[in-house]
Amino acid sequence: MAHVVLKDLVKTYGSFKAVNEVSLTINDGEFVALVGPSGCGKTTTLNLVAGLTSATSGDIFIGDRVVNDLDPKDRDIAMVFQNYALYPQKSVYMNLAFPLQMRKLPKGEIDRKVREAARVLDMTQLLERKPRELSGGQQQRVALGRALVRDPAVFLMDEPLSNLDAKLRVQMRSEIKRFHQDLKATIIYVTHDQLEAVTMADRMAVMNGGYLQQYDSPAQVFAHPANMFVASFVGSPAMSLIPLEASMGNGGAVLTSAEGWSLELSPRNAQKVARATTKKVVLGARHSTIKLHKSAVPGAIPAKAYTVEPTGDVTFVQALLSGAIVNISVSPNIAVTPDEQIWLEFDQERMHLFDSETEMALEAN
Amino acid sequence: MSTVSETISRGQPARRLRIDGWRWGGRAFLVFMLLYTALPMIWMLLTSIKSGFAAMQFPPQWWPDQPTLASYQKLLDPQNSVGQDFLRFFWNSLIVSTATTILSVIVAVPAAYAFSRFTFPGRNFLFFAVLLRNMFPAVIFLVPLFILMRAIGLVNTHGSLVLTYLTFGLPLAIWLLKGFYDNIPVQLEQAARIDGATRFQAFILIVMPLSAPGIIATAIYSFIGAWNEYIYAYTFLSKNEQLTLPVGIQRFFSENTTDFPGLMAASFMMSVPVVVLFLLLQRYFVRALTEGAVKH
Ligand SMILES: Nc1ncnc2c1ncn2[C@@H]1O[C@H](COP(=O)(O)OP(=O)(O)OP(=O)(O)O)[C@@H](O)[C@H]1O
Ligand SMILES: [Mg+2]
Repeated sequence: MAHVVLKDLVKTYGSFKAVNEVSLTINDGEFVALVGPSGCGKTTTLNLVAGLTSATSGDIFIGDRVVNDLDPKDRDIAMVFQNYALYPQKSVYMNLAFPLQMRKLPKGEIDRKVREAARVLDMTQLLERKPRELSGGQQQRVALGRALVRDPAVFLMDEPLSNLDAKLRVQMRSEIKRFHQDLKATIIYVTHDQLEAVTMADRMAVMNGGYLQQYDSPAQVFAHPANMFVASFVGSPAMSLIPLEASMGNGGAVLTSAEGWSLELSPRNAQKVARATTKKVVLGARHSTIKLHKSAVPGAIPAKAYTVEPTGDVTFVQALLSGAIVNISVSPNIAVTPDEQIWLEFDQERMHLFDSETEMALEAN
Repeated sequence: MSTVSETISRGQPARRLRIDGWRWGGRAFLVFMLLYTALPMIWMLLTSIKSGFAAMQFPPQWWPDQPTLASYQKLLDPQNSVGQDFLRFFWNSLIVSTATTILSVIVAVPAAYAFSRFTFPGRNFLFFAVLLRNMFPAVIFLVPLFILMRAIGLVNTHGSLVLTYLTFGLPLAIWLLKGFYDNIPVQLEQAARIDGATRFQAFILIVMPLSAPGIIATAIYSFIGAWNEYIYAYTFLSKNEQLTLPVGIQRFFSENTTDFPGLMAASFMMSVPVVVLFLLLQRYFVRALTEGAVKH
């Protein structure tokens, strides 16, 4: 196993920058998730590490070697492709055996490793089949198996669970996690499913538009999103972002809405707002940090329920506030009907404030 | 098909009539094409087993009264001069066509792969330049090529024909193969390279087997083109012992104009290698080899 370092990595296609000045350090044995919306450069970043595309500028280290000019086969990596890339003319067995054959392992050892991987992935009965005779989920497991038979310095996985049904996905998720713990494997794991990243990864790198937005543990990213993009991308349902106007006066700060209501901030939050470059500030709040009242309460803001979505465990209420949709979760025994008048109370300790100009999170000193 | 038209036609007789009309039209067309291609072949076969006299009769004998294999025996007998010539022409054609086929596969495979996978300066220009040759009828190049061959001393050699057939066959072969390579997902090679293969190994071990139908189609196309070609063989070669079948048959039998059974027997035997080639290789065409490789 080895650590991986990306230094100021840039990849351009013509004038289009697919990956932009990305710097990341992945420690030996660390599980790092690369998340972001479709087209943000996740696969491109992974291909750069794998050596399938060459970087426009920047350096890639695997272990202590600069691998910029090394062939993929010399980088000591294994990769699971987003579209599987199974060898169609080979049986499942031969697909799994191929990386071992290319590394000239003895026959007996190849057989032992292939059967072990097949057992872990529960496809011993499928070994003689051709890829076209498998379901999408089975094909995905073969793709995963072809990486797991090896013992490389780094595993690169490009959405390896995207095509599995919900039950199998949860099962494979824990299988990969166990695999990581047992082998102390270094894994770079691409997904656009932030829940997968949060549940599996030691650290997550959030990307958008080719830029690295934030790189931290899932708990930190969740609790302290660096900017509005990360705030809205991580967490489900998404954090509500309400654009407001800040006004300072006699030591405190007040956020005012165009709708007429205003919200007094705690001293700590007032400090944050004071650092904004503009008067326009965005208030961010996760669904669980907003209290819903059915009657007026001091400090609560009047709003109208818009939609109500019972999910069994919790009921999600959406309300319109200052032109933004606000998500609130309430216990299912609180009955709310659409268009009902409600009052919302924000938790000052757990609210987020963003500069609407730079979109960056505002921090107290 | 029938259930479809029945479901549609319920309560709509006019609709059914139209569908049936198309269907019968299609069948009639297929039958016509079948007769159009098969009848001359059948007539060729029938004539080849007639005696010389029976072949000239009018009205014709639709079925030979006394079928005989004499023409075949004569052509395949290395003892008499007719047989010696025929077998030599056959051998010459086989050499020229096989050499053309092997060379065109050797050149077309890497060329098509490069056009499909790499971007390099002048790629588009080259790709269409390759096709330019096919925009003109082949005879236009007869005189220039003859002068060229004479200049490099290739007149009266089989090499001149192989080179010429290559210039005619390669453009389409490259186009055809490029289509095959375009349809093989690039991730397969990438996976192989990560699994420890060099770029060349990835091509040989993974891509080549998947493009087998394309390579076979290319080979058949080149072989038939070379096997049947007449004008260039007629112009470039003058020594009797070098002639290929199309020229040889024509020249040899024009001295014996009345021997139609012999001519037909020779023509029939000339078509045998092509048919055998097709029968042996056709099963490779129907398989979609990349099925199951990637998610759709
Ligand atoms: N060969 C290429 N030529 C030009 N543009 C490319 C090429 N490959 C990728 N891109 C562009 O680079 C951007 C990033 O692509 P990439 O495949 O890395 O996205 P991704 O984050 O993996 O998305 P997804 O979640 O949909 O897989 C996209 O906008 C894509 O259009
Ligand atoms: Mg991708």
